[in-house]
Amino acid sequence: MKSTAIAVIGAGPAGIAAALAAAEAGAAVTLIDEHPAVGGQLRWRIAPLRGLDDALDGLPVCRAAETLHERLAAADVSVLTGAVAWGLFEDGCLAVATPGGSFLLQAEKIVVATGSVDLVLPFPGWTLPGVMTARAAQIMLHLHRVLPGRRVAVVGEGPDAAEIVHDLEMAGAEVVLRAADPAQVVASGEGRVERVSANGERREANAVVIALGRQPDPELALQAQVDLGYSTRLDCHLPLRSELLETSRPGLYVAGEAAGAVDLAESFAEGRLAGLAAAGATLERIAAAQEALARARSPERSAEVDRLRPGSPGEARPETGVGTPWASWAEAAAAGGQDDALAQVALCRCEQVTIGEVRQAIEEGAVTINDIKRRTRAGMGLCQGIFCARAMALLLHASRGIPLSEIVPMTERPPTRPIPLASLVEVEE
Amino acid sequence: MDEARSIGAGDLRVLHHPVLGDLPVSRPVQITVDGQPLVAREGEAIAAALLAHGILVCRTMPRGREPRGLFCALGRCTDCLMTVDGEPNVRACLTPVREGQDIWTQAGLGRWEGPAG
Ligand SMILES: Cc1cc2nc3c(=O)[nH]c(=O)nc-3n(C[C@H](O)[C@H](O)[C@H](O)COP(=O)(O)OP(=O)(O)OC[C@H]3O[C@@H](n4cnc5c(N)ncnc54)[C@H](O)[C@@H]3O)c2cc1C
Ligand code: FES
Repeated sequence: MKSTAIAVIGAGPAGIAAALAAAEAGAAVTLIDEHPAVGGQLRWRIAPLRGLDDALDGLPVCRAAETLHERLAAADVSVLTGAVAWGLFEDGCLAVATPGGSFLLQAEKIVVATGSVDLVLPFPGWTLPGVMTARAAQIMLHLHRVLPGRRVAVVGEGPDAAEIVHDLEMAGAEVVLRAADPAQVVASGEGRVERVSANGERREANAVVIALGRQPDPELALQAQVDLGYSTRLDCHLPLRSELLETSRPGLYVAGEAAGAVDLAESFAEGRLAGLAAAGATLERIAAAQEALARARSPERSAEVDRLRPGSPGEARPETGVGTPWASWAEAAAAGGQDDALAQVALCRCEQVTIGEVRQAIEEGAVTINDIKRRTRAGMGLCQGIFCARAMALLLHASRGIPLSEIVPMTERPPTRPIPLASLVEVEE
Repeated sequence: MDEARSIGAGDLRVLHHPVLGDLPVSRPVQITVDGQPLVAREGEAIAAALLAHGILVCRTMPRGREPRGLFCALGRCTDCLMTVDGEPNVRACLTPVREGQDIWTQAGLGRWEGPAG
């Protein structure tokens, strides 16, 4: 079995900072990312960078990824790209799949810096080819230089939606419709998006971009069954962490957006602290990293982080009300009978389970996400529920009045990715 | 075939960009999609080459043959599964194009057909 002192999973800003810090403190570090290059979300964003350091600020974000790559090469970090960490087993044993097969990696300490995925919610037509996440649109525009379509509708509001609208227009696409609320959107067409309507407006369009924001993705930490708390800001559960970003499982750290970090600067600062702590760096270095992290956080975020320490269960969401724009989606999804516009819409894309079928499971007594999963197969597909768990939680909340804070995430089991069966057979000992 | 197409510049290609500059010339890579020849750009993902030429459907689903295409571009949703050189369930959003690749829209869960050729 291969071994390393510190394994860092995810080579976005948090993971890169963790790897650099741990290497600086003298530890042997392996940095793993499933994408072909390091940088995480930096790779496909082109907005000017803010809040990292003087050498990087002002560059288009994607250029900063290249600079960080050079820093990793200069430090003694072993970088594995194109490699997915798909399982976290007892005693720091990670299963990693590469195109050449799977291997086990024994790590003394693990930093999970797996970032986020885009938040999505179902609307009629959302499975049509041409409908994609904001991240997919950015990847096509900036990494591959392809327009998602010439006439594009954008669903969502807020800074991420504003950024993708700007990106689309800069690349020469026309944004023909914007809708803040996914509950108001209908996409239609024969085998692909041809029309989109929202709030009484109707446009011809050949793509729809979903930009509702991002949701933390700490899957590997969930597999390790770390203690969780509830974030009212993000309407989801997050790993509880000590001052040094260690979870309830000793030696397992979570840093960056995977743990709810708000932005790049905070993700980077969290990564550095987790890397130093995992490597057992000197107290002076750790204290300096803690101060830098405190500066990168707003007072609200600092208060949230304090609530999400071990021994405190986060904050319960009041019984009513969900953060907009999801509240009206939750109401619409829970309200209909079996024949409204949403009944036939897939909630789970992978297993093609409709909102109507999930409503029925709830009527028949399902009170947890795992109940819904067992009754309908929703969430059992290849995406492991990452694109439907939020919709299930909102639907449960709105139809049964269960506070979101009490709806626990679905049980995570390896593998976290649809890896070929051969990979499982090939795990080298 | 006009010149734009032969450098892999399909209809939806972003040729000029205010921040990223002009699209660099790249070596053309010849692929076939459902038997039709297509020119892609070296290094790009299969799904990007398809989208550039206005091809949106990667697979159809087991239920109702519902068509699906690129959704997350991260390898997470599996809406982009295609059959490539006889191997089913290849994620078109992550898999780079290669000279001579034989790519088929995948029906349902796909069927192993062994390496082509
Ligand atoms: C549209 C948009 C606009 C934004 N605007 C701003 C802004 O204006 N200012 C700002 O500060 N921030 C902004 N951000 C956020 C910023 O990009 C993130 O805060 C930052 O990228 C988070 O860094 P991270 O390292 O935690 O995660 P990421 O950058 O998401 O990196 C995570 C990495 O982990 C890898 N990974 C995940 N799971 C596995 C696994 N199992 N095995 C192997 N690898 C894995 C992924 O491939 C990825 O590379 C924006 C983001 C988006 C999408
Ligand atoms: S588009 Fe989601 S896996 Fe390829």
